[in-house]
Amino acid sequence: MQLWQLWQSGYLTELFIKVIIFPGLVHISLVVLLAVWFERKVNARIHLRVGPYHVGPVMGFFQPIADFVKLIGKELIVPEKAHKLLYKTAPISALALSTLSFAFIPFGVIGSEMSLPFIPFHLSPGEYWVVYYSNISLLIVILLFSVRPFIIIAAGWACRSKYCTVGALRTAFQLLAYEVPLLVAIVGVVMVAGSFDLVAIIESQSSIWHGVFQPLGLAVFFVAMMAEVSRRPFDLPHAEQELVYGWATEYPGVLYGCFMMAEYVDLYLGAVLMTALFLGGWLGPAFLPPIAWFLLKAGIIVCIVTLLRGVFPRVRIDQLLDAGWTYLIPLALIQVLIILGLAHVAPGLLGLA
Amino acid sequence: MPVMRVKFGPQHPISGHLCLALDVDGDVVVNIEPDIGYTHRGLEKIAENRNYVQAVPPLERANIVDSVHMVLGYVEAVEELMGVEVPERAKFIRVIMAEMSRIASHLYWLCLMAVAVGLETMLMWPINDRELLLDLFEMYTGARITHSFFIPGGVRRDLPQGFKEQTFRALSYLEQRLGDYDRMLYQSYTFKIRTQGVGKLKPQEAIKLGLVGPSIRGSGVKVDVRKDEPYAAYDQLEFTVPTGKVGDSYDRSVVRLREMEQSISLIRQALERLPSGPIKAPAPSSAPKGETYSRVESARGELGYYLVGDGTTRPYRLKISSPSFRNLPAMGYLSKNVPFADIPVILWSLDLWPLDMDR
Repeated sequence: MQLWQLWQSGYLTELFIKVIIFPGLVHISLVVLLAVWFERKVNARIHLRVGPYHVGPVMGFFQPIADFVKLIGKELIVPEKAHKLLYKTAPISALALSTLSFAFIPFGVIGSEMSLPFIPFHLSPGEYWVVYYSNISLLIVILLFSVRPFIIIAAGWACRSKYCTVGALRTAFQLLAYEVPLLVAIVGVVMVAGSFDLVAIIESQSSIWHGVFQPLGLAVFFVAMMAEVSRRPFDLPHAEQELVYGWATEYPGVLYGCFMMAEYVDLYLGAVLMTALFLGGWLGPAFLPPIAWFLLKAGIIVCIVTLLRGVFPRVRIDQLLDAGWTYLIPLALIQVLIILGLAHVAPGLLGLA
Repeated sequence: MPVMRVKFGPQHPISGHLCLALDVDGDVVVNIEPDIGYTHRGLEKIAENRNYVQAVPPLERANIVDSVHMVLGYVEAVEELMGVEVPERAKFIRVIMAEMSRIASHLYWLCLMAVAVGLETMLMWPINDRELLLDLFEMYTGARITHSFFIPGGVRRDLPQGFKEQTFRALSYLEQRLGDYDRMLYQSYTFKIRTQGVGKLKPQEAIKLGLVGPSIRGSGVKVDVRKDEPYAAYDQLEFTVPTGKVGDSYDRSVVRLREMEQSISLIRQALERLPSGPIKAPAPSSAPKGETYSRVESARGELGYYLVGDGTTRPYRLKISSPSFRNLPAMGYLSKNVPFADIPVILWSLDLWPLDMDR
């Protein structure tokens, strides 16, 4: 009976649309496929190659889908000495964890009344495109972001292979070391916005983006985010030349596909967070709807990150850790001090007055 | 964490068929044991069972990316044993082919070095530009890699029509590309911090370890068979021997880039001064009793052939002293207490080619 009431009120439809379509699974999968395709195509052009060409209507557009289907079709070879339960659940939990973060991120504000024919569904202006609204959403997302190293350690350990173990430990080093600058870079934003609520943070940027007065914070966040999602030049977890494929060496078929997809979801998550925290989220001139502004900004960041892959060699783990502790954290702290000073001297400039 | 033994190869994305057993303490390699022989084909014995001309095709398989030098060293040794004087034109053609092979080999090395530091762009660019040289080889010999085109006494055929023009076109393009490589890889900050100070060898150490080729020249030791003991037409051409200063992986890499520039200039000179005349001298089918040691400067360094003749049509004994094998001790010497990630960099800065090593 209660279910019927939920259906009547339009809540079930709303949940379905938000979880499955936007900003849920379909949206994330599409972005991931687009990012994979873009990365392959653009890097191929940098390499003076053609890249994906035959699959799909234009420029090998369906190649990532074909690859994923191929991965699904592969035999799952579980190493004999592996910890079976961890081995099988780690990839799935990695993907689930990465995707879960999107439940708390608001992707835009609803401008006009929305409803569907025949199905009870109703969204009124002023509501947000978010699955679960929370006033500590940033904290939740950061928390979920921080759990990933443990899954990776578990995944690497479960294989009982040397390459995997070394790769997992290395990944743990990297992710834990770069979480600190990432969090410190966020502090300035949270101070100005006065809230852990992503909606409040985005709306506090209506006069000026946080990135304008916090360029150091933006830069530190960008670099730390690149390291967190293991992109070149910080893709040490998969250092192919040393560790074959790092902690994911022993994972076949669809299990590897889960890890790979989780990686791209994380990349998109990083870009989305950066957009929300520093680049004004969905705010922008009115000729585009808010959602489009949000996706555009996040998409541009994803493109920049994938482009960097073609021009940077990989750094070494000790150099990476050195850079994290000696440059990024002090820079982020300086940014916090600058913001403190500005808030004291000229609060109007930050939109605090 | 206890010391763990990790096998680096023979099936590994970067090591080729070379197996390195690494003792790893966390992320630091404390000891290394090279385990070679996975590609041993017994080419020396194969060559001893064939007559002098028939031995050419198997021998060039010893180092497939630098096949011209493998054959050049062999035919120089055979000519020395037989006392055959090679015509001038053949000498110049040999220089052209050898230097083209050196560039092709260095381009191949460059892409492997770039992969060792993790830059795929520089894997694709040199391997693509190498095609130009392979096309030139194909135009001249009909084969891209395994030409078997030097025979005792000279070369098989004369240069085809239009070869000179096409070579000049390819060389000017390559020259421009070398600048691109310089900007893309060598000037890159990340490449510098990955290679500078890694695998540092002082000149005395390099001499003591018996390094050859670009690996020892990177340490600042000016050793080059082309200068010290000129063969073919190298005594008639002008070139410099680039050397490094510090002796680290970066210097060894720079030396190879500069060598490619020198090779381009050498090919140009040789093509311009190419004398007319015969391209092969008659060579006897059997060699007299005696022994000889002949050496050439291959892309990886000094390549020696020890040859013993017994008056028959077959060599009594043939021994190859290959540059990669002579550079291998440096790998073990340099890989003590270095980060795991430096192993591929050191490996490819020495350009250890497993096929060459095992023969």
